[in-house]
Amino acid sequence: MAGVWILAEHHNQVLELLGVGRDLATKQGTRLTALIWDDRERVQEYIDCGADEVLLLAPPASGQPPEAYVPVIVAEALTQDPDIFLIEATLRGKDMAARIAARLNTGLCSECGGLTLDEKEDRLVMERLIYGGAAVQTLVCSTRPQMATIPPRAFAPAQPQGTRQGQVRELPPPPPAAVRVIERKPKTRGTVSVAEAKVLVCVGRGIEKQEDLELARELAGVIGGELCCTRPIAEELHWLPEETYIGLSGLKVKPDLYIGVGISGQIQHMTGIRDARVICAINRDENAPIFEASDYGIVGDLYDVLPRLTGELKQALKK
Amino acid sequence: MPRIVTCFKWVVDQADIRLVPGSRQLSLDRAGYRISDYDRNAIEEGVRLQEQYGGSTVVITVGPPSAKKGLRDALSRGPEKAYFVSDPSFENLEPSQTASILAAAIGPRIEYDLIICGEGSGDLYAQQVGPRLAEKLEIPCITYVSKLTIQNGEVIAERKVEDGIEVVAAPMPVLVTVLPEINVPRVPGLKDTLAASKKTVVEITAGDLGQTFPPCLETTSVLGTTMERNCVKFGAETSDITRLVAALLKEGVIA
Repeated sequence: MAGVWILAEHHNQVLELLGVGRDLATKQGTRLTALIWDDRERVQEYIDCGADEVLLLAPPASGQPPEAYVPVIVAEALTQDPDIFLIEATLRGKDMAARIAARLNTGLCSECGGLTLDEKEDRLVMERLIYGGAAVQTLVCSTRPQMATIPPRAFAPAQPQGTRQGQVRELPPPPPAAVRVIERKPKTRGTVSVAEAKVLVCVGRGIEKQEDLELARELAGVIGGELCCTRPIAEELHWLPEETYIGLSGLKVKPDLYIGVGISGQIQHMTGIRDARVICAINRDENAPIFEASDYGIVGDLYDVLPRLTGELKQALKK
Repeated sequence: MPRIVTCFKWVVDQADIRLVPGSRQLSLDRAGYRISDYDRNAIEEGVRLQEQYGGSTVVITVGPPSAKKGLRDALSRGPEKAYFVSDPSFENLEPSQTASILAAAIGPRIEYDLIICGEGSGDLYAQQVGPRLAEKLEIPCITYVSKLTIQNGEVIAERKVEDGIEVVAAPMPVLVTVLPEINVPRVPGLKDTLAASKKTVVEITAGDLGQTFPPCLETTSVLGTTMERNCVKFGAETSDITRLVAALLKEGVIA
């Protein structure tokens, strides 16, 4: 058994997995294999960024979801016997990873946020958050391949290492699948990039009406921030797009400044902002858990505080 | 008419998790337990589909004997019958074990057209048991579903993916994992709780399953996460707001 495999759907994540995968393959003295189904024109880039081999998954027949690749990937894994298999932790990636792991009878570390190679024992030591982010679980996998899904931005993307040589191979098309896609409703992508923003204003259940979001939007406007929210605001009330909710199951962000408005501070949400440099909270309940996890807090009614804070900031920043 | 099986997990209530003072060890001694929030949506969806299409709905859970407390709670939410797969060794199971135990329990003894799981569990949130169980039972699987209907013996589901919504169809039997947004779970009343105590609970022991379930993953440590923050609290007076703005300027996070 040998080799490190990576599988990712999106270009950025292919590079991130190539980065961590190359490092592991070099330490183990084995080959790095990348499985991709999109961006075929980027094969040489992936080789330059560390892949020794690229396996191309044939485009699925119309109406076939990419999950139909599972049996093809499993068949190849049984032949090649990789030692480590890392998969991008998108919704689709997590689905495929669990099914591949089940078929290979092996363990899978979901949403692995950190991993190191224990060279003495020749095994991966993997970390992930549990209990909504209240604890870190450290895991090892006793079966092979050792599998993990890796969240976006957990590792730095690989850089090209000059022009490298690598093999490219096409895998057979997926067999017919029982699940068929009958419609795709693409997301209308806004220009907002909450994931990359330096400043975030985040709203929670303390906002009473959708039109009151304007108060938070004005604050964000003055400090050059993006507006984001907690899970219920996006998924239950649909006041803001789903790709703007922060938390364990949503975005994990690393802004310089996060201002939480009307947010109680449930651990699932706070897990998404652990890496913020400065956390600031506005809540009228002085016992709200968010204050324990904030650098600065204002105990007050957001409807009273927000306009005044926005005004004060406008003056201070001369905007 | 669909025969529906809903899986649920009896999990520690996160609100009760404390750190042992002066350490990063977790203290769970006084913690309460509850049906995992995501599984409440799964149970509700099973009951809702039964109300709409007829058929039957049962629940199943795997756990140590102490998880028995969850059965009445689950039954008070509408299902007709519960299966309790229990053994003292079924504690701190990792996802591959839970899925294999469920498959061994369901496969030979429960007839089903549709299995519903939550998208993940409230404690580990590994999001593996649903898809792994489908693989073990060799049935199709649809994950992250926000809307579910049944038409002409097929399940039609709207599932969330990164680039939008994918509407898919699959013949039954099929396994579906549901998102919290799919429904609002009803709150059981006193009558429901009383009715639940009259419903059948089928107990399945490790011995009945006739095999062992070795783990693939081994936990080497669990440590509480710490959030070390300044925790400076201001009031809402004008002077407080001025001090906050000054502090943010000093931190260099606004310009």
